[in-house]
Amino acid sequence: MIQSQTHLNVADNSGARELMCIRIIGTSNRRYAHIGDVIVAVIKEAAPNSPLERSEVIRAVIVRTCKELKRDNGMIIRYDDNAAVVIDQEGNPKGTRIFGAIARELRQLNFTKIVSLAPEVL
Amino acid sequence: MLAALRSRFFLSTSPSSSFIHRSWKLGFSGSSHTFFSSNVESSSSNKGLLDINEVENVLKDVRADDVKVIPVGKHCDWADYMVVATGRSTWHVKNIAQALIYKAKEKQRGAQRMMLPSLEGQEGGKWIVIDSGKVIIHALDEKARAYYNLEDLWTSGMPPKEPVQDLEKAFVKIRPKNNSKRRAERHA
Repeated sequence: MIQSQTHLNVADNSGARELMCIRIIGTSNRRYAHIGDVIVAVIKEAAPNSPLERSEVIRAVIVRTCKELKRDNGMIIRYDDNAAVVIDQEGNPKGTRIFGAIARELRQLNFTKIVSLAPEVL
Repeated sequence: MLAALRSRFFLSTSPSSSFIHRSWKLGFSGSSHTFFSSNVESSSSNKGLLDINEVENVLKDVRADDVKVIPVGKHCDWADYMVVATGRSTWHVKNIAQALIYKAKEKQRGAQRMMLPSLEGQEGGKWIVIDSGKVIIHALDEKARAYYNLEDLWTSGMPPKEPVQDLEKAFVKIRPKNNSKRRAERHA
């Protein structure tokens, strides 16, 4: 359940450390974003000497949420943190590597690039 | 149509089926994936998906540079082969993707429901991923290929798995050390 003003960790090596969601892309007036949704976010904290800077507005895909994700087979997945991966307008990830486990729902939502970079797919 | 394609992947989510999957692979190395896929999927759903040999032929026909086939069955359970190919320009990269789609269409001509592999990144043309079930084809331009360095990621073994093992060793080593220190202090 990511809404505007939610702070998220960054799960890649793009250089951003912390994001704040400011808008959910998709339908208007949507309240919450879940895994696989694209959000507009501000970089709240960035690593030094990285191409991305603080207070830059970027797009990101949510890859982990504290809110549990239910599957049709009864499996429930819940992560410890809210995390996103920074992407550009074309959908290519800004970073080259992704950290942590990622849900396989992202593949069905056409984020195969992110899934193929991920070290672990749940 | 896409949903039907995708629903297959849920088969491997339950732990028991993934275990079967592993044991199959141990039994047949190399060409196991055709056996496996034909076993689990219905034959109609397998028709649309491209074979690794067909993919290689198509890539040869469109003159994709530096084609590399990486078996990734050990690293991830959601795919068997990653194919990386370089295109000379964005046009070339897009054409590689279109050629693969055309091949998939050709393969199931006359079928009532066509199943096409999903495309990602078609607008940009810098990195296009063609997701054909167990075979995943990455078509990149030269810059993107150098930037993402995909071969390194899949050939050098998954880096995050090694640190976990190191951590386990570290815990084992530290414990007896601490105990001995405390005892030594008590004795003194």
